[in-house]
Amino acid sequence: MPAAIGQELVALLPRLRRFALVLCRSQPLADDLVQGACERALANAGSWTPGTKFDAWMFRILRNCWIDHLRRLRTEGMTEDVSVQTQLIGDPGEGPILNKLVLSEVQRAIDSLPQEQREVLLLVCADDLSYRETAEVLGVPIGTVMSRLARARRRLMEMTAAA
Amino acid sequence: MSQLHLSDEILMAFADGELEEPTAAAIAKAMAEDPAVAKRVMDFQQSRRLTRSALSAALPDVPPELQAAVSAQIMAYEASDEGKVRPTDTPSSSFGGIRRRPILKMALAASIVMGALGLGYFVGRHDSPEANRLLAQLNNPDIYRELNTLASGQDVELPFGRLRVISTYRVANGSLCREFRLQSRTETAEAVACRNGEWSVNFALAGPAKASAYVPSGESDLVATYLQSMGASGPLVDEAEVRALSEFTR
Repeated sequence: MPAAIGQELVALLPRLRRFALVLCRSQPLADDLVQGACERALANAGSWTPGTKFDAWMFRILRNCWIDHLRRLRTEGMTEDVSVQTQLIGDPGEGPILNKLVLSEVQRAIDSLPQEQREVLLLVCADDLSYRETAEVLGVPIGTVMSRLARARRRLMEMTAAA
Repeated sequence: MSQLHLSDEILMAFADGELEEPTAAAIAKAMAEDPAVAKRVMDFQQSRRLTRSALSAALPDVPPELQAAVSAQIMAYEASDEGKVRPTDTPSSSFGGIRRRPILKMALAASIVMGALGLGYFVGRHDSPEANRLLAQLNNPDIYRELNTLASGQDVELPFGRLRVISTYRVANGSLCREFRLQSRTETAEAVACRNGEWSVNFALAGPAKASAYVPSGESDLVATYLQSMGASGPLVDEAEVRALSEFTR
């Protein structure tokens, strides 16, 4: 179903990019990651079963691309990407500045979480994936998803209450 | 359920609607009996709402370059028989087995707008409303009418710009496609429209008008690449073009 997958991909782009930003925290890198994931998805379009959740399938591909990237960095040594990676999402020009104080507080709190907590938080709370789907995207047991998610949300409530 | 340990994970799963019935009922009961438990569950609901709002508010627009690059990938995929078009000679990127995408580079360099009406959208640069307006005109019935008759190399003045048909091709699926240029005072759009019963624009690029009035035909690599990916034959000229154009216009 080639036409279907193209439309699904386009519709999913904003959320794919948001996930990529959560993973790599750099806009140029995130865009390259999204593009790489789309290319990989189209090349393996046959392995997507229509009727199953397309977003979960794409998130898994995107995350695998990211892991491949990290592996390569490790084996090739740190390259210029490291400096790119340290750019934070909140840098100027990185999208609309939140004017609601509480939301920017929450955003800051989310940014300060470890990556493994940020990604479960995003997938479950913003992208509405179930625990099971999230576990499949991340390749970890459901119990791990739940403990990371609970920790992230507890921490979030502590930080936003304290601020 | 004689003994239920009210761990954070369990309460969170309840808040997220992830618990099966016997356990869920037990949590509901515990919440009713103990406000502290209810508060913990509500905190988890609240953290979900906050996260969703914060992340959705921060959801940035997809940059047009990225959108254009992915659109090009999709078009190449859909144009190929089984979606097996692969880049062959591009250098490897930092993303594992993924190759660096030259289309993105070209898109950035040319500051272009491209879109695929087949997918029902155009992509525009945010800072170029004129280009978007010009792209919007590509669907104009006036253009489609001219495409039925105007020979390649000819120009016609339309209310919103000057239309020039560049060339005519037969593509792999048998459709007749025409490359054309629409030029307004400030912007130029190059597009490929194909006829399946009626015309539709499948591919379009737009950018600022060139400084010189004359632009050689077929100057855009992207249009050529697109036509190639569609399996276009050599251009139809003269009699062959006239014959092909008259196929559906009786």
